[in-house]
Amino acid sequence: MPRALPSLSAIPPMLIIVLVGLPVFVALFAGVAAGDGATWDHILQNRLLPYTSTTLLTLLIAGVIMLGFAVPAAWMISQYEFPGRRFFSWALILPLAMPGYVMAYAWADLMGVAGPLQSQIRDLTGLSARDYWFPNLFSVPGLAFVLGSTLFPYVYITARAAFSMQSLATLEAARSLGARPLDLFWRVGLPVALPAILGGLCLALMEAAADYGAADFLGVQTLGVGIVRSWTSFGEPNTAARLALMLVLIAGSLLIAARLYQGGKGVQQTSSRWLSPQRTRLPQPLAWITTALCALILLVCFLAPISRLLWLAMESNARRVDLIPLLRATLALGVLGTGAAFVAALVFTLAAKRSAFLRMATRLIAAAGYAAPGAVLGLGALFLLRETGQPLAGATAIGLLLWIYVSRFTSAGVEPMQATLDRLPRNLDHAAQSLGSGGMRQFFRLDLPLLAPGALAAGLILFVEILKELPATLMLRPFGWDTLAVKAHAYATDERLAQATLPSLLIVLAGLLPVLLLSWRLSATERS
Amino acid sequence: MTSIRPLIADQVSRSFGTVTAVANASLTLTPGEITALIGPSGSGKTTFLRLLAGMERPDSGQILSGERVLASASRHVPIEKRKIGLVFQDFALFPNMTVLQNVMFGLREYAKDERVHMAESWIEQLGLTHRRDAYPHHLSGGEQQRTAIARALAPKPVAILLDEPFSGLDPSMRGRVRDAALNAIRAAKVPALLVTHDASEALLHSDTIAVIAHGVILQSGPPDTLYRAPNSLAVARALGPVHEIERSNLPAEWRAEIKTDAPTLWYRPEAISLGKGPDFTVSGSRLAGPVTELCLKLPDSKDVLYSACQPGTPLKPGEGVQAMINPALFFEFAAEST
Repeated sequence: MPRALPSLSAIPPMLIIVLVGLPVFVALFAGVAAGDGATWDHILQNRLLPYTSTTLLTLLIAGVIMLGFAVPAAWMISQYEFPGRRFFSWALILPLAMPGYVMAYAWADLMGVAGPLQSQIRDLTGLSARDYWFPNLFSVPGLAFVLGSTLFPYVYITARAAFSMQSLATLEAARSLGARPLDLFWRVGLPVALPAILGGLCLALMEAAADYGAADFLGVQTLGVGIVRSWTSFGEPNTAARLALMLVLIAGSLLIAARLYQGGKGVQQTSSRWLSPQRTRLPQPLAWITTALCALILLVCFLAPISRLLWLAMESNARRVDLIPLLRATLALGVLGTGAAFVAALVFTLAAKRSAFLRMATRLIAAAGYAAPGAVLGLGALFLLRETGQPLAGATAIGLLLWIYVSRFTSAGVEPMQATLDRLPRNLDHAAQSLGSGGMRQFFRLDLPLLAPGALAAGLILFVEILKELPATLMLRPFGWDTLAVKAHAYATDERLAQATLPSLLIVLAGLLPVLLLSWRLSATERS
Repeated sequence: MTSIRPLIADQVSRSFGTVTAVANASLTLTPGEITALIGPSGSGKTTFLRLLAGMERPDSGQILSGERVLASASRHVPIEKRKIGLVFQDFALFPNMTVLQNVMFGLREYAKDERVHMAESWIEQLGLTHRRDAYPHHLSGGEQQRTAIARALAPKPVAILLDEPFSGLDPSMRGRVRDAALNAIRAAKVPALLVTHDASEALLHSDTIAVIAHGVILQSGPPDTLYRAPNSLAVARALGPVHEIERSNLPAEWRAEIKTDAPTLWYRPEAISLGKGPDFTVSGSRLAGPVTELCLKLPDSKDVLYSACQPGTPLKPGEGVQAMINPALFFEFAAEST
C-alpha cells in the first residue's frame, strides 16, 4: 500500500520547527566545526576552561543559595500556620519579576562603599572603609547571590507544590509514630518532594547559566559573557562558538535533568487522602521567627532592591533619561516578537494535538531553543548573517532579532497553552469531529475559544520575556533600537546607576504582571 | 515496656465554626478488644478518631490513656507523644521507604539490630516476609494495608485507631487482609478502634460497637445487644435494614406475641420467616445470596411485610405461604428517636 503523503497541515509546524531550531544548530555546528583562527589549545587554556569553571562554580553556589531560601520557606508555608503565611505564599514568587541584571544593579548600589549599608556601618562604628571587611558583590559568590536571589522562586514553586501535595495522612502517620517536626521534614517530607525540588533547581540553574547581564555588570567571566566578548571584543568567532557549545551542553544537561526528575522518576505517593492542607499552628515564638525569616528572604530578594531602585529613580539624575525612544523600540520589538513567537507557539500547540510525531518534534525543538541562552542564539544568528554577507543593520537586523525571539521563547508560549489543553477532556476533538466539525471550523469554534485563557497567559509571558531579554538584543539590535534592557545595561556598566534605575523599574513593573498571574494560577490550583 | 491501659473519651466535644462535629462523646476502648465505631458519612466518626489520635484538640471533655490525661481543656499531648498507632483507608505508607523501613520508622528508641529484628517479626506475622524490601508502589493494596498495620503495631502503641482500613481493598482480598490484620491487633492486646461504615464488618469483627450520628454517640455495647435491642431507629438502621409497620395491620395472633402497644413498630426482615402461622400471598421474591427476600401481602391491607428467610423451594409471586415471627426483632422507638 502506498504511504500517504504528509497532510498539508503538517507543513506550517515543520517550517516553524526549522525556524526555531536553525539558530541553535548553527551555533552548535559552528562550535563543533570551528577550524581556523585561534588555536584549540589557546581557546581551551585561556577561554574555555576559565569561563567554564567560573560558570560551574557560580551555578554551584547559586544552587545552594536557592535551596537554602526556597526549601525551608516552602516547607513552613505548606505545613504550618504563622502570621503572614498567606501573604508570603505568593509574595515569595515576586523576585521572579526582577531580571538578574536589575537585581545586580540594585545590590551593587546597596553594598557599594558609598551605599547605604556601608555608610551605616561607618556611621555607627566610626571606622573608615579600609578598617573593615565587607562582602564584595563583584565576585563569583556575589553573582551567585544575585542569581540565587532572583531565581530561587523556581525552586520555591516546585517545592511548595510538592510539599502541599503530600498526603496529610502520610505526615500524620509519621507523627503518630513519634516523628518530631524536624524528622517529618528530613525523613518524610523532603525525600518525597526531592525529585520535584531537584527538577525546579535544574530549571533555575539553567536560567542562571543563560545569564549575561548580571555577570557582565559584576565583571564575572562566565560562558555567557565570554561568548559576547569573544565575538565583539576579541574578534574570535571560533572561541565564541566553542564557548556556546559548552554553555548549551551545560544548559541542555540541566534541562534534561529537570525533565527526568519531573518525569515520573520520583517516588509515588501511596495516599491521597486529606490532600487539602490542614496546617499545624506554630507555637510562639517559633511562629514569629518563621515570619521574620520569610520577611528577610522577601526583603533581600525583592523589597530592598526594589526600594533602592525607587529611591535612586526619585533622585534628579534619573529624570534626565529620555524614555520615549527606549519605550518605542521596546514596545515595537516586544509586540512584533510576541506576535511572531505567539503564532509559532499556537501552531506548535495545535500540531501537537493532532499528531504524536509533531508533538514530540515540536516539544523537542522548542526545548532546544529554550535551553539555548540568548547569547548562543545571537551568535547563531551572526554566523548565519556572515554566510549571507549582509550587514547587521536595518530591517535585516530587526528580522534576525525577531527570529531569535521566536527561537528562544516559543517554548515559553507553548507551555501555558499546552497546560490549558491538557485540562480538557481528551475526547473533545472526537466529539466535535463526530458532529461534522473539523479543520478551520473546529479551529475557530472550538480550539481558539478553549485556548483563550492559556493564550492570554502565553501572550503576556512572551511580551515580558522579550522585554527583559538582553544578550541577543544587545548583539543584534540595529542602530537606534536600544530597548529598556539594553539601555539599563549600558548605563549600569558605565557606572551611571541612577540613570539605569528608571528603565530597570519599568522592566520589573512589566515583569510583575505575569508573576502575579502565575501566583494566582498556583493559588487556584492549590485551592482546587 | 508500656503497660496497656484503656483509652477513654470522656464527654468530648469538637466544633468547626458553627458545625458540631462531635458532641459530648464518651467511649472506653478496652485493651485486647476491638471497638467498632459506625455511622453514616459526616456523622463525626473520623473527627472522633482524630481527637483520640491527637490530630484535633477537643473543645471540651477529656481523653485519657488509663490515668494519663492526653487531652483536656488545659492539656494537649501532641500526636507524636501519644504512642497511638494509626491506620488509614489509603495506607499512607512512606513512599520513599521499603516495607522494612516503613515498619522500622517508629522504632527509633531501639538499637539498630533490635529494630530490624522487631520489624521483621511483625512483617512475618502479617505474611509479608517475601515483600520485605519492596517499595509501597510495588505492593498490592492488601500488602500495603498489612504493612501499614505492622508499622502501627511495631512500636507497641498504647492503642490503635483504624480509619476505614479495609474499605479501599478489593472485595476478593478484603476478608483475608481483615482476618490477618485483626488477629494481629487482638494478639497485641491493645485497645483498638475500628471506624467503619460497614455494619456487617462491625458486627462480625468487633467486641463492642458504638453508633454515632450528628456527632453524638447514640449507643454502645456488644454487637448482639445493639442489633437486637437498639435504643433508637438510627442505631437500628446503622446495623441493618429495618422496616416500619402499623401494629394494627398485623395479624391478631402476631399482635398477641409482640409485647407492646405502640401503634408503629419496626422489625428486621429476618423477624419474619416461613412457618406455621397466618396466610399471606407472595407479592415479590428476590434471591439475596444465602437468604431470599420476600414481600408478603397482608390480607385486607395495602401494606406488605418484608422477610429475609430461606424457603425450601423458590417462591413465585402469587403463591400462598404461611409465616411466623420472632417477636424479639420487633422494636418500638420513642417518637423523638424516629
